[in-house]
Amino acid sequence: MLACLALLRKPSYGYALLETLNDAGVTVDGNTLYPLLRRLEKQGLLTSEWNTDESRPRKFYQVSPDGSRVRTGLVREWQDLVSSISRLTKESG
Amino acid sequence: MSTSVLTERYVHEVVRRLPAEQRDDIAEELRTTIADTVEGRGSADPRVAEREVLSELGDPVRYASRYTDRPLALIGPDLYPTYIRLLVTLLCTLLPAVTFGLVVLDVLDDDNLGSAIGSGIGTLFTLGCQMIAVLTVVFGVMERVRHHKGVVDAATWTPDDLPEVRQPDKGGVAACAAAVWYGLLVGLIIWQHTAEPYRADGAGGDTKRIEVLDPGLWSGWVWPMLAGLAGLVVVQLARVAARGWTVPLAAGNAVAQAMFTLPLAWVFNEKSVFNPDFLADADTLWSSTDQAYAGTALIVLALGVSAVFKSFRAARG
Repeated sequence: MLACLALLRKPSYGYALLETLNDAGVTVDGNTLYPLLRRLEKQGLLTSEWNTDESRPRKFYQVSPDGSRVRTGLVREWQDLVSSISRLTKESG
Repeated sequence: MSTSVLTERYVHEVVRRLPAEQRDDIAEELRTTIADTVEGRGSADPRVAEREVLSELGDPVRYASRYTDRPLALIGPDLYPTYIRLLVTLLCTLLPAVTFGLVVLDVLDDDNLGSAIGSGIGTLFTLGCQMIAVLTVVFGVMERVRHHKGVVDAATWTPDDLPEVRQPDKGGVAACAAAVWYGLLVGLIIWQHTAEPYRADGAGGDTKRIEVLDPGLWSGWVWPMLAGLAGLVVVQLARVAARGWTVPLAAGNAVAQAMFTLPLAWVFNEKSVFNPDFLADADTLWSSTDQAYAGTALIVLALGVSAVFKSFRAARG
């Protein structure tokens, strides 16, 4: 979810996002990602727009201002968690 | 844009489980996504790739539920503990009580203990199934209503909900046995009245069936005794449920004991407990003297008083 919010600073659509995520090493299945996008949209963290310029009509998602705030918070939590865990593993290792 | 029949079937299976206002939008996106993914495979045979893509997306029912957040369980983890608790309680208390009551009624109507027990087993089974089914349906509906309203917090639990630590209930088995015993007594009294089990040698060598207890009791003392016994059964069962004596329970026990014991002692004292015909026939079995009757009356009283006393002492301690 955090990865979605991070990547969707620029508008993108389902399949392209999936590919980008997988290339970046964040393996996620389509059947998880597409419903997730919808849920984030419903929660107001993403906005979406149909783009009919290309061969297929595609739904492009982008992070909303609310989504940006949530992302900042999540990134901080994530970093706290990472530093806590790395401290712990260092001590025990 | 052309989509194959297979994709259409998949999309249809997914969106028909979604709220109407989202259907077209999600269907359109899903078609595009599937087409994009198939294309992205760069497979020589698009049909094979399509099959792969669809099987990776998985069961449409499951997939649709990810959009709606609809529960995929009949009874979710929030309600499951309550469900189990209630089910066990019902099956352990209400079911046996109702079955027992129906068997007693059957015996009263039908005079036949065997067939009554047979139909009691049938009742136990059907009623048990009905309880399970109804409870399951109610909880299934509740789960969906809760979900619909967005109540998904399991946080309603507080430490106050913790049950008291169950001390081993030493008297529990004894109380169960007592309840069964009092119930049996009720059954026996009614049975000997309706089935007239004793065969006495009548005049002329033929046998006639008579009651063991004095039939005169049925126009008098047997009723408070039966009521007292029924009360004792209830009190003992309540004591099992409460896992110990409480003062109100002990008071109820005293009342029920009094209703049963006092008339019993009285009829023993009056020597009107057994059927005179039965005694006349059975006097070869034992010789009954006045002292024996008075003594029995005293024993009955003593037993009743001690039972009441014990329950009060347990309630206090």
